[in-house]
Amino acid sequence: MHTLWKGSISFGLVNIPIKMFTATEEKDIRFKYLHKDCNTPIKYEKVCPTCNKKIGEGDIVRGFEYEPGQFIIVDKSDFDSLKTSVNSKSIEILDFVSLDEIDPIYFEKSYFLTPQDNGGNAYSLLRKVMMDTKKIAIAKVTIRNRQSLAALRIYNNVLLMETIFYPDEIRSVSLVPGIPEESEVNEKELDIATKLVDNLTETFDPAKYTDDYREALRNLINKKIEGKEIQTAPEAPERNVIDLMEALKASVKETKKAPAKKKKKTSERKSAG
Amino acid sequence: MPAVILRYGDKEVKVSHPDKYLWPELEIRKIDYIQHLIKLAPFMLKHISNRPLTVIRYPNGIHEHFFYQKHLPDYSPKWVDHIGEDGEKYIILNTLPVLAWLGNQGALEFHATFNHLSYPDNPESIVFDLDPSEGQHFEDVVHAALLIKDTLSSLQIESFPKTSGASGIQIYIPVGHRYTYEQARKINGFFGSYFTSKYPHFFTIERTVNKRNGKIYFDYLQMWYNKTIISPYSPRAANTAAVSTPVTWKELEKGCRPEDFTLLNIHKRLERKGDLFNSLYLPESYQNLSFVLENISE
Repeated sequence: MHTLWKGSISFGLVNIPIKMFTATEEKDIRFKYLHKDCNTPIKYEKVCPTCNKKIGEGDIVRGFEYEPGQFIIVDKSDFDSLKTSVNSKSIEILDFVSLDEIDPIYFEKSYFLTPQDNGGNAYSLLRKVMMDTKKIAIAKVTIRNRQSLAALRIYNNVLLMETIFYPDEIRSVSLVPGIPEESEVNEKELDIATKLVDNLTETFDPAKYTDDYREALRNLINKKIEGKEIQTAPEAPERNVIDLMEALKASVKETKKAPAKKKKKTSERKSAG
Repeated sequence: MPAVILRYGDKEVKVSHPDKYLWPELEIRKIDYIQHLIKLAPFMLKHISNRPLTVIRYPNGIHEHFFYQKHLPDYSPKWVDHIGEDGEKYIILNTLPVLAWLGNQGALEFHATFNHLSYPDNPESIVFDLDPSEGQHFEDVVHAALLIKDTLSSLQIESFPKTSGASGIQIYIPVGHRYTYEQARKINGFFGSYFTSKYPHFFTIERTVNKRNGKIYFDYLQMWYNKTIISPYSPRAANTAAVSTPVTWKELEKGCRPEDFTLLNIHKRLERKGDLFNSLYLPESYQNLSFVLENISE
């Protein structure tokens, strides 16, 4: 496991130097896109369709699309002006709360934290106090000048950092259509449903859940290992819509006898204006 | 006034609280509303029958609470047509008694899918849905609609407008379910991006309302499976009791307004002019957009 980041947890006057590791990993089976005629992995090139030329890293600026097709440019100096003055390598503990006060919807991504060489004692102290009080810490994390919110908790004797969404990143349930209002429940049905839940109740054993789709796909790949059949869809080239419309109009005019010409109906429209 | 019973053969529709005001300012009571619906029925049903339906119900009038309904309620009479099974039964509005029954339930707006039940993948018309942003007026929507009509005309494509009854205009291009929803979206998206590129300060395809910056919203995404649009001649739950009304391009040019066509006066117009949207279903009005489609999906 390689170290993602080095920094420190600041907790009151104590500073705990730590290393950070990613705690979860996607196991999705990855595919490469190939050219179907020759099975060559496709290369992506950055091209400007207006200037019709290849674009290098230095030729790129960031634009915010405030309206489809309308951009304002945000350049490096703009980003620099936002850089925080705070220590850019810290996990600053703000509050301690109970785990059950945070709904799981807030959790985004998990990281293991371990002490650097001289941080062992302070690390153990924080870990013990959190276990004893059964509290988790809310912290502001600054990594590479970007701030995010996180929760620190103990998982299998390791300090775990969960980045959490800011409240305005969680969509309101009022935007979800079709949630039924609470309605009168039939006592008998409720009784049967409760019994069913009781029957299916077990202790949580994550090991028994597997990704069936991934396994099936893996099997399929193993069976196909001698053959080679992968398909890709070519990207449609974009054309300037205004030019295209003019071309369409011109082609209609040219053919005179229009493809869509219809006899007049009861409506009192005049001919094309 | 006690409840009124309407009889259609062996079907009975009980109008409860016939005196209740649904549009209080215009003093349209429930019983009046149902009478208007009965007169409108031949026109409404033509456009809504055999299309999955969503109604908006205002049981206590336009100023009180409302809710959307597309499922068949448990208490519906047996003769209310529906599709689907068990928990997924949807009302189908094919007959006058069902219309009157929905009227009694305070269904004031009738929204239908873009496709007929027989063609689940194919909208009957390509529909451009135009809405003003805050600060814009109906005149702006008319201006937008006429720009679109001119472009369509120069492509020799005939189109038919209707007021939404609220603040917008919808432009229908009859195609006789020859294109799939996917193809229709390509066509619609092409026109949407054409108008926003050609008139970037006047049209937008931005979905987020407060990012529309006072421009006309060209909604090319609404036309899709299971989505609905206000059906022709459906009333709207607005103070004016406006009705979503097919109009001629000339009427729009002359400055007609959505509130010119209401539950109270629509009948006279229909007697005089008939249904301007009749042609949507006539094979000779079907427009061929394949040449557009071919050029945009190369």
